[in-house]
Amino acid sequence: MDFEFVHRLDKAKNQWNISIQGEIDIYNSSLLKDKLYELLEQEKADLYIDCEGLEYIDSTGLGSLVSVLKKVKQFKGNIHLSNLKPNIAKIFKITDLNKVFVIEGAIYE
Amino acid sequence: MNKSPKTIIDEDIIELGLPINPAYVSTARLTASSIANRMGFNIEDIEDIKAAVSEACTYLIQLDKSIQNMFNIQFIIKSNALDIMLTAEKIKFDNIYEEDGLGILMIEALMDYISLSSKDDANINIFMSKKLK
Repeated sequence: MDFEFVHRLDKAKNQWNISIQGEIDIYNSSLLKDKLYELLEQEKADLYIDCEGLEYIDSTGLGSLVSVLKKVKQFKGNIHLSNLKPNIAKIFKITDLNKVFVIEGAIYE
Repeated sequence: MNKSPKTIIDEDIIELGLPINPAYVSTARLTASSIANRMGFNIEDIEDIKAAVSEACTYLIQLDKSIQNMFNIQFIIKSNALDIMLTAEKIKFDNIYEEDGLGILMIEALMDYISLSSKDDANINIFMSKKLK
């Protein structure tokens, strides 16, 4: 799988707290999408993804996140990403996806 | 007897042949990272090179049925730059460059130079380069 995925539902805040560790690329990006879809099927809630342990994400991983975001937007939810490493923050910035997701914390220049 | 480590030489070429299989994209990334590190690129540039190589591999893998089942990556070490050439042999001559997609746009932003071979060529070539600052 090459990435670890930990999740917990915070019912009081109606949000999924998720932590992703490792690398996401064409090898496993569809698995990430499936896992996030599964959570939304269990409970329609905002996604708060802690990316502190995320080492790398490629264009297919970004595509998976965008697909999930479309689903989340259907019930007026959102995807929040936090603790992005500088290389990951740069990928979001050059693709302009930092304007599409809620990025928490500083975007490194 | 103490010998100083052998330094890398201008125009050294490292070549990697990979199956068209998503499982090996991380192998290309690791190789790119190792070479860029040995050449003395800074951490940000190493990350850029890693991501660009990964996106180029992904681009070829997504073409899938248009190319043979292996592709090649050449890392050409220069005194002031790292040149990287990915080559895959075409099966079909479809208009596969109509839409470059997010991956190619990312490479354009991450590298100093990128070119894609024309659709009339027998091979698909992605050439990119990053200057050593």
